[in-house]
Amino acid sequence: MRKITLPERPGWRDRAAELGFTFADMGGEPYWDETSAYAFTLDQIERDIEDPATELHDMCREAVALAVADEEWLERLAIPRQHHDLIAQSWTHDEPELYGRMDLSYDGTGPAKLLEYNADTPTSLYESASFQWLWLEEQQQLGVLGPDTDQFNAIHESLVERFGQITDPGTEIHFAADKDNPEDYATVEALAWAAREAGMGAHFTDLSGIGLSDQGQFTDDQDRVIGTLFKLYPWEDMLRDEFAAHLQSSRTRFLEPPWKAVLSNKGMLPLLWQMFPGHPNLLPAFFHADVADALRGGTPAPHVASAFAAAQDALRAGHVTKPLFSREGAGVAIHQDGRIAEETGDDSYSHHPMIVQALAPLPLMDGFHPVLGAWIVGRSCVGLGLREDRARITHNLSRFKPHFIEG
Amino acid sequence: MAKRKRSRHVALLLAGSAALGLAACEDDRVDAQSFPDLQSCVAAAQENSLWFTEDDCRTTFAAAQQEYLETAPRYESKELCEQEHGVGNCGDDPAQGAQGTGGGGFSFMPLLVGYMMGSMMARGGGIFSQPMVNTADGRYSTAKGDQSFASNRGTGKVAAQTFTRGPTTMGQPPLSQAAVQQRGGFGRSATARGGGRSFGG
Repeated sequence: MRKITLPERPGWRDRAAELGFTFADMGGEPYWDETSAYAFTLDQIERDIEDPATELHDMCREAVALAVADEEWLERLAIPRQHHDLIAQSWTHDEPELYGRMDLSYDGTGPAKLLEYNADTPTSLYESASFQWLWLEEQQQLGVLGPDTDQFNAIHESLVERFGQITDPGTEIHFAADKDNPEDYATVEALAWAAREAGMGAHFTDLSGIGLSDQGQFTDDQDRVIGTLFKLYPWEDMLRDEFAAHLQSSRTRFLEPPWKAVLSNKGMLPLLWQMFPGHPNLLPAFFHADVADALRGGTPAPHVASAFAAAQDALRAGHVTKPLFSREGAGVAIHQDGRIAEETGDDSYSHHPMIVQALAPLPLMDGFHPVLGAWIVGRSCVGLGLREDRARITHNLSRFKPHFIEG
Repeated sequence: MAKRKRSRHVALLLAGSAALGLAACEDDRVDAQSFPDLQSCVAAAQENSLWFTEDDCRTTFAAAQQEYLETAPRYESKELCEQEHGVGNCGDDPAQGAQGTGGGGFSFMPLLVGYMMGSMMARGGGIFSQPMVNTADGRYSTAKGDQSFASNRGTGKVAAQTFTRGPTTMGQPPLSQAAVQQRGGFGRSATARGGGRSFGG
């Protein structure tokens, strides 16, 4: 894994505008940044990213199976009691998952470490699946990259295939997102194109325009009944909104399925560590309430005492606290040497229970900290997208960086 | 040469929300043929089978009958039913009392007056069918009401989504117009304090 300075494609900003990629610059800063790129060997991609991420997803499924059958775990994951059935049933009915993105800390050597799994509402899909792909193709045509270079990016084709597997031909799928947020919209549009290519009908509805019919079904913003709903909106919020009472009775099929509420929850990280302690791609993780005292020199909760003892050196050297629910780095703080070394300053999720995770520092490459986004479609890792930031905690304005596999 | 790790093609264009409207699907059409009953389908298959066999007739007619029972609209009175489907075109719910039907006093249904078969071969599917009922203005529509036709006997091309199944036993199929009672029940983003942030991440 190397960071390489490369010439930008002439006129790429015009091309981005032409394609509708309107957020290539955000907040006066570049968001899409191709002044440099990350290069990987095929071995690094396959051995260190693809295979481990696929295995991690399998482990996550085992963890979901455990959690949905255990009221205590559902409580710890802050899933409202009245929705335990909805979530457990979606799992026992084997409702299929569509996609997710694992954020990994990796520097080219040693095992990649799972920082978190956005298994419910990952964005940056268009940048990863499409614009990054175009960058590689065009840089090859320009001779900037050799003809034998490649990219870990089967995301689009895998999505087409996945839609074909999990929905009947001709299924009408509604895609709901915030219409005023171009990043969110781009992600649902990328998904919708894949659905269309798989033979499905794809329709957009603004999330806040969703209605409830007199027969208890959800409708789109044009009063048409929703049969299958992809929502770029977190399950933890769906379960707490006014329409939550109608989720089950509406008979809507949801993508992602309700059991993703378990998976896209930072409480999964302590659960994974409990089930697979010492796994090379996992970091020691605990509920903050169980170890807060111990981190200050006191004692941990009895049920995690031996696990904490095994991990305490790593945790004391550095750890990260994160709220159970949080997006784009909000509420995340890095603790080192007994003090907060870095935090994002966005506390909009900080009233939720926290978890503690051992620190796996992102590498520093030419002044920036890259984080790997390993894309999961269905149950396999099928692509990669990188973000980088000068800060150590990646957030919503962090730059998207293209990557390639060296030929 | 090593295995290629990237897609052969991708979708590059972000066209904005208009592109995901219903209209964009309209050229996505499949071969379809409708019949008033099973016998006329079998006769057509014997005479000049283009894309279906007698067996297809039997299988798809049975499927349409079942789908009619499960997804056709139900009304609380015969009068209401006839307003929607024409006088003399309604009857009792044949599935009334059976487990899994709509219930709730909605026990009148439009009569099954034909069915339509569609070839999804080009889409990797098989042959699909839809039950047909009358409309108030003397036409024929799918039981879920999303497509109507002048006759229950004929050949043509229809939108592939015509053959999408509606939800069973209650409610209306996807994309049919509904009476909306309430809106805005999603999107408060209850777990985050303060607004204006992306819902993704």
